[in-house]
Amino acid sequence: MIRFEGAAKRHPDGTVAVRGLDLEVPAGRTTVLVGPSGCGKTTILRMVNRMVEPTAGRVLLDGTDVAELPAAGLRRGIGYVIQQAGLFPHRRVIDNVATVPRLLGWDRKRARARAAELLELVGLPPETARRYPAQLSGGQQQRVGVARALAADPPVLLMDEPFSAVDPLVRAGLQEELLRLQAELGKTVLFVTHDIEEAVRLGDRVVVLREHGEIAQLADPHTLLTAPADAGVAAFLGRDRGLRGLGLRPAGSVPVAALDGRIAYEGWQLVLDPDGRPEHWLRGAERHPAPVFVPSRDSLRSALDAALLAPSGHAVAVDAEGRAVGTASRAAVVEALAATGPVGAPLPEQVPHAGR
Amino acid sequence: MNWLGWLHDFFADPAHRSGPDSIVHRLLEHLAFSAEALGLSALVALPLGLLIGYSGRGLFLVTAVAGVARALPTLGLVTLAVLLAGVGDTAVLLPLTALAAPPMLVAAAEGVRGTDPDVRDAARGIGLTHPQTLLRVCVPAAAPTLLAGVRTASVQVIATATVAAYVGLGGLGRYVIDGLATRDYPTTVGGALLVVLLAVGVQLLFALLIRLAAPPGTRPGPRTRARRTGGAAPLTPTDPANPPALVKDAP
Repeated sequence: MIRFEGAAKRHPDGTVAVRGLDLEVPAGRTTVLVGPSGCGKTTILRMVNRMVEPTAGRVLLDGTDVAELPAAGLRRGIGYVIQQAGLFPHRRVIDNVATVPRLLGWDRKRARARAAELLELVGLPPETARRYPAQLSGGQQQRVGVARALAADPPVLLMDEPFSAVDPLVRAGLQEELLRLQAELGKTVLFVTHDIEEAVRLGDRVVVLREHGEIAQLADPHTLLTAPADAGVAAFLGRDRGLRGLGLRPAGSVPVAALDGRIAYEGWQLVLDPDGRPEHWLRGAERHPAPVFVPSRDSLRSALDAALLAPSGHAVAVDAEGRAVGTASRAAVVEALAATGPVGAPLPEQVPHAGR
Repeated sequence: MNWLGWLHDFFADPAHRSGPDSIVHRLLEHLAFSAEALGLSALVALPLGLLIGYSGRGLFLVTAVAGVARALPTLGLVTLAVLLAGVGDTAVLLPLTALAAPPMLVAAAEGVRGTDPDVRDAARGIGLTHPQTLLRVCVPAAAPTLLAGVRTASVQVIATATVAAYVGLGGLGRYVIDGLATRDYPTTVGGALLVVLLAVGVQLLFALLIRLAAPPGTRPGPRTRARRTGGAAPLTPTDPANPPALVKDAP
């Protein structure tokens, strides 16, 4: 567990980066620091591994003030991932990943074996190991960065905007991968981002910061979206909070009508391929794609989206292999929505002193 | 007689085949002397440049040294050293050493300073100490720039060592100076050609080394270079006649 006790950072020129932060980062969970640029989130993150020394207060790691630990030793026990990956350009990928184990005195063979495991864990093909960083795409470099951070199996992982520099599609893949990894590994993750969507997607807890590292709100993603603490947080969250909140709710509650022979609604007929995967909706000569959702994995938002897009008004539910298992009408999805209770909350404009 | 005839006379001369005035002997003299000056110079300039580049302190010194060095007349420096210290190898070695230092100092400082700041940050962040960061991360990353500096210094020293025959040093310069003194043009032209070949050979050798030092996959162009230097204001280039090796020599 990481605990900030009045941790502050004032630069020599008098500007205040962080005024004085009190925060607990629970073990085994993902805590996301999110806020506009200049809010001190990176400074806060870097206090943990002493890349920044607080000018007042302290940071405790499992009860020990990090200032009392030797910097290099402390850092070798904490995973660290940054925006541009920061891989060593002259070393092969495998040796980049093996860096910390080697620093810890492992022999080369064992360190490389461990590095190979890690590359597999982050979803990189084995032939990547022999390559140099400049021969990889940005997304692959980030995966190597994550592998390097995890190589010595540190209990704590610090991630400073690790996915900001890659394109949205790759970013979504990396986020997915991190969620999977975290479910498997259960690290204490402190994650910094300026992207609220990313924060809500990845965080067990989200800390919204405003200037000087002041906490505007600390909440789980659902509470944050449905009940922002003030107008400033609401503005930062942006529009469509209600709809986006649906993205956090599982689609498992949507009643699915089982497939029963030939499926047709309003003249639209669902055409399946020989493996039972939906191909398209067909009416006369008209063809439309058949939007699908996976009830066990996707969110209510995905289910609603699929139902809205389908020309027949029915989303196709599929299993993990993509085989159709049933359909859900728009009405059925809305019914499931209604059953989960209100998504919204009092308008933040009505909160007094909400000046931001 | 045309210059081809002169060259024939130069290479056919038995005195240039064996003995103290032979081409091989003069070439080895030249190389030994140049290497000595370069080695001494590197011993001081490279560590100093690395430290300055890594710490960012004393960059003004590098800029100043580079500027002064460019203004120094090489022949004048050699002559001055001989006037002060008398004819002898040491008297010539010192100015040569001094001449080799600035390009290496500048290259070492600029190369290390130009290491991607993200790479340095990551190195520190995952637990490398300062010396480890400098030696294991910054120096390899700066290797092409470093080598370009050594190349510039080598060519300067080889060229100036020729001139130093004027004050009594051995090496290929003997042919040029002695040939001029005795109006023996074949010897002058032959010596000059050998110096040119040596300089070009050394250039090519370094071009190869620099190519090998750049990690595969890096294709430095203007944009890559701008990112590598991390927006730091460039110091004086190592040699205007030789564009930065990163741009020129990488695949």
